[in-house]
Amino acid sequence: MKVNTNSNVYIIIYSVVMVVIVAVLLSLAALGLKPYQDENILNEKKIQIVKALGYDAATTQYKDVVAEAVILNAEGAAVENDEQKVFDALKDVKGSREAGSFPIFKAKDGSVVVPLYGAGLWGPIWGYIALNSDMNTVKGIVLDHSGETPGLGAEITTAKHQAMYVGKTIFEGEEFVGITLKKGGADKDNLHEVDAISGGTKTSDGVSNMIKDCLVSYKPYFAAAKATVVAEPKAEEAIEAEATEQKSNDKNIENNGK
Amino acid sequence: MASKSLKNLTAPLSGNNPVIVQILGICSALAVTVQLKPAIVMGLSVMVVTAFANLVMSMLRKGVPSRIRIIVQLVVIATLVILVDQVLKAFVYDVSKQLSVYVGLIITNCIVMGRVEAFALQNKPWDSFLDGIGNGAGYGLILVIVAFFRELLGSGSLFGYPVFEKIGLYELGYSNCGLMLFPPMALILVGCIIWIHRTINTNLQEK
Repeated sequence: MKVNTNSNVYIIIYSVVMVVIVAVLLSLAALGLKPYQDENILNEKKIQIVKALGYDAATTQYKDVVAEAVILNAEGAAVENDEQKVFDALKDVKGSREAGSFPIFKAKDGSVVVPLYGAGLWGPIWGYIALNSDMNTVKGIVLDHSGETPGLGAEITTAKHQAMYVGKTIFEGEEFVGITLKKGGADKDNLHEVDAISGGTKTSDGVSNMIKDCLVSYKPYFAAAKATVVAEPKAEEAIEAEATEQKSNDKNIENNGK
Repeated sequence: MASKSLKNLTAPLSGNNPVIVQILGICSALAVTVQLKPAIVMGLSVMVVTAFANLVMSMLRKGVPSRIRIIVQLVVIATLVILVDQVLKAFVYDVSKQLSVYVGLIITNCIVMGRVEAFALQNKPWDSFLDGIGNGAGYGLILVIVAFFRELLGSGSLFGYPVFEKIGLYELGYSNCGLMLFPPMALILVGCIIWIHRTINTNLQEK
């Protein structure tokens, strides 16, 4: 029997059969490969957390440096410490934040890692910021993006840019200020500013906002954690506070002079 | 292997190379050649897609309704590309991240559809399969050559291994050529390859 391959009936049947075969094939592949892909994504998150803490991800394992992964509620109390659930919450940082649950990673040396998620110029930006046990000084940061402009906004992923955050502080006295990416270059003495990226102002603003928006929710936790460790490093902190006060006084004088 | 079949495999490597003779697939060739590793993975991915797209379309060629043949070709190619993308994400996640959208864009690579339309619909499956392998390899070959120079001169490394640092070139005052990392330099390199290639193969020179 000779089939007319150009008849409408043949074309419709041909298309339907083709689409069904393709759909089955792709679903099987997607289902079969999902566990491997999820594992890769999980590994990448762990590597970024290790990097944020300032370790070399090639030689240091996540489980060697992180003591505990927990989800905090809005009051800063731990409500969940199942690692799997914490990483599930990371899949949608913004959604969890709106739902009032805040994932955090506690490292063995007392520092903590907070996941960041915000908006860049073209798409989402995200990362991890590690704070020392004083819950104030930045230990390290890792930033990533999905579609910022290469050479401009995408520079936030470079080690050179991320190194500038180390040693900066997110609190001015008791007040939360975050870290701002300053267009035109940061004031060297200002502990809450780093240089913005030339040509990447929108992305830089996005990073500033992301750091503020994400960290501000953790304030209750930071306050509680500081209270427990404050006994020892108090002397040091007092000196530091004095120094910053001195600085701001100097600045005021300068400003008045102008 | 008959010599005619073999010719299907070898012709696209030089005399009928898809990138430097037919000037197809330039866009992705510029985008993924900053380093060798993604270039090789991209070359292999394209090879798999061209080979199997040719094979499948050649097997289907008698039954495909000619009125919807382009749609059928697209479905077959898109399916293969999605499969390749999924496999890359599962097993070479870091490279897959570097290649980002360019794996998906294999669907629109003119080489794939060009070979299916021009070759697979008129030839037997085995010949078509070899033609697909040859064209994918011809594309991959150019990618690897371009990526070799871009990674070596732009980052001073090969496969991420810091060659220039190890032989102490930086101490002599050499510094990396940042321009190599930008797409325009890939275009210039492809131009240089075409120049050299046509100097050797004088029959390709336009009168």
